[in-house]
Amino acid sequence: MIHIDNLVKRYGTLVALDHLSLDIKEGEIFGLLGPNGSGKTTAINCLLSLLKYDKGTITIFGKEMHPDSYDIKQNIGVVMQNVAVFEQMSVWENIDYFCGLYIKDKEKRRELVEEAIRFTGLQDFKKMRPKKLSGGLLRRLNIACGIVHKPKLIIMDEPTVAVDPQSRNRILEGILELNRQGSTIIYTSHYMEEVEQICSRIAIIDHGQVLSIGTTEELKSMIKTGETITIEAVALSEDKLAQIRRLPHVFDISYEEQILKIRLSSAKHNLVRILNYMQEHDIAFGRVFSELPTLNDVFLEITGKELRD
Amino acid sequence: MLFLFKYRFLQTIREFSIMFWALAFPIILGTLFYFSFGTNIDATGETQWDEIKTAVVIEDFANENSKAFETFLENMEGELLDITRVSSEDEALRLLDEDKVTGIYYVKETPSLTVGKNGLNESILTSALDSFNQNSAMIQDILSEHPDKLPSALASIDGYRQTVHEETLGGKTLNPNVQYFFALIAYACLSGVFLGVRASFDTQADLTDLGARRSITPTHRLKLVIIDMLVLVTIHFVNILILNLYVTQILNISLGDDIPSLLLVDFMGSIIGVCMGLAFGSISKMDLGMKMGFSVMLTLFPGFLSGLMFGNMKNIIELHCPIINRINPAAVLSDAFYCLGIYNDMERFTRCILILAVMSILLLFSAFLGVRRDSYDSI
Repeated sequence: MIHIDNLVKRYGTLVALDHLSLDIKEGEIFGLLGPNGSGKTTAINCLLSLLKYDKGTITIFGKEMHPDSYDIKQNIGVVMQNVAVFEQMSVWENIDYFCGLYIKDKEKRRELVEEAIRFTGLQDFKKMRPKKLSGGLLRRLNIACGIVHKPKLIIMDEPTVAVDPQSRNRILEGILELNRQGSTIIYTSHYMEEVEQICSRIAIIDHGQVLSIGTTEELKSMIKTGETITIEAVALSEDKLAQIRRLPHVFDISYEEQILKIRLSSAKHNLVRILNYMQEHDIAFGRVFSELPTLNDVFLEITGKELRD
Repeated sequence: MLFLFKYRFLQTIREFSIMFWALAFPIILGTLFYFSFGTNIDATGETQWDEIKTAVVIEDFANENSKAFETFLENMEGELLDITRVSSEDEALRLLDEDKVTGIYYVKETPSLTVGKNGLNESILTSALDSFNQNSAMIQDILSEHPDKLPSALASIDGYRQTVHEETLGGKTLNPNVQYFFALIAYACLSGVFLGVRASFDTQADLTDLGARRSITPTHRLKLVIIDMLVLVTIHFVNILILNLYVTQILNISLGDDIPSLLLVDFMGSIIGVCMGLAFGSISKMDLGMKMGFSVMLTLFPGFLSGLMFGNMKNIIELHCPIINRINPAAVLSDAFYCLGIYNDMERFTRCILILAVMSILLLFSAFLGVRRDSYDSI
């Protein structure tokens, strides 16, 4: 459905997109995951022809995308990172206005607006102006304006930034529902949990480059970490730490402020083996956590830095 | 198209801060002008003068001429003069020194006048005395032979009135205060800048997210820009009409009788103001507050040069650097209103209209160039 080939975008000497290539298939929820400033939004803006780029090609629905590709734009809906609505118009008027930029038929438009309002749960706020809405409701209005015309492709650029957990869950459920209804979705975020929760495929981006691409499981299987065990332990000597480091499947440990963090490759009974060692050597310990690898681990292993919120 | 027009119209007129600058501020300014000029401008622009405070010292009341002059002064009292009768010249001079009176009339065989300064009121007092002296022989004859006819004879001596009755080619009285209202309407036309600047933010993807959202829709960009321009010019034209109605119907200041020509100037002024705003709004990435600040300058400075704050400014510029008056849209608009309201000079009016037409076309073109871009180097 979307083919991005060797996209290069420079701002002076800064390379924002460095030979970025992506293929997005119909029916996917495709996640673009990366820290702030990694090039996600720049990639989206190039995809929409809002930004000029220095090199590369972008094809959407089998046609090359240009600023005047109005036939392609007809089938794209965009939910901007920041709320982009008219402050002077009511919820209904805003959704109706943006729908009107895509749909000419008045009756059809009315139906679509009603449907978008129901979908985003804004029925009780139709006549309210945006400034009277809470942050979560505003985000929902922003989404309604972007999806009201039922596009084939929906691009969502960090739609949950600064949203309360309740609204965030509602938005994520809504995205899954849109996908079930047949829309292909590109979802950018720096919240790895969200991406992990809803995306069928994920591209990890940093410094304008695609570092890795695949399903959540594929990405996790690409890295060495199979399990991370965290233990509250008092006064561990260097000798003990060295012995732990030599246990089977352990490839990295850290010990800071009485918290022992052990990274192990994927294997059975890792936790039992570690706890046995602690008991055999009379090491006092408190709480113990075992975590399967996250996308943060993936990002950490690939880039050497954390994917922070 | 009508649907998009409707929503853009609603959105614009509901933006109070912008409508304040484009509509309410010129009306408030006009009201302040009206009251600061003492509400002494009538429907034809003719001034209703305040009575001139005058001291009268009677030095000799024995002869006929003194009596005639005293009757003459009594005849003007309450209409032109506010007379204070004093018993001595010293007291009269003290009043003159303290600016409590404009002049002192001495009632004697040959009446005389003392004034402290040069000015319009002083000239009126001098002219009144001259009128009396020129007709004193006739007045004395009437006084001796037909004393009952004296009041009507004195009333016919109205030379002093002519001193202050300056008629223009258009048959209207030239009141210097009326020009402030012409400059005000010209300024109001330019205040369309605020509408244009604000709208440019909703049009360009590199300035706002709203601009970006509108840019990625299948509605042709040219269509969106044209609708914006139509909406803004319509709203601002109505703003100017409201101001015109306020000035003519509430403040009773005449803008001339040629309504079609007046509407033409209003319309062109609206285009110029809005397009200046759209062009200025699209040339840089300054934030809205900054651009609004510059817009205040962009409207008030040409307004100042056209005589909005200092009535004689346009004449001074005409004398020293007339080209500024040709290229300053506020000055050209003000001049066009002058031609309609005062001079009735259609040749000069046509020249103004041509200049405004050229300006409108240039500004429309530059505004369109500014907002038509489809994609940007950076957002």
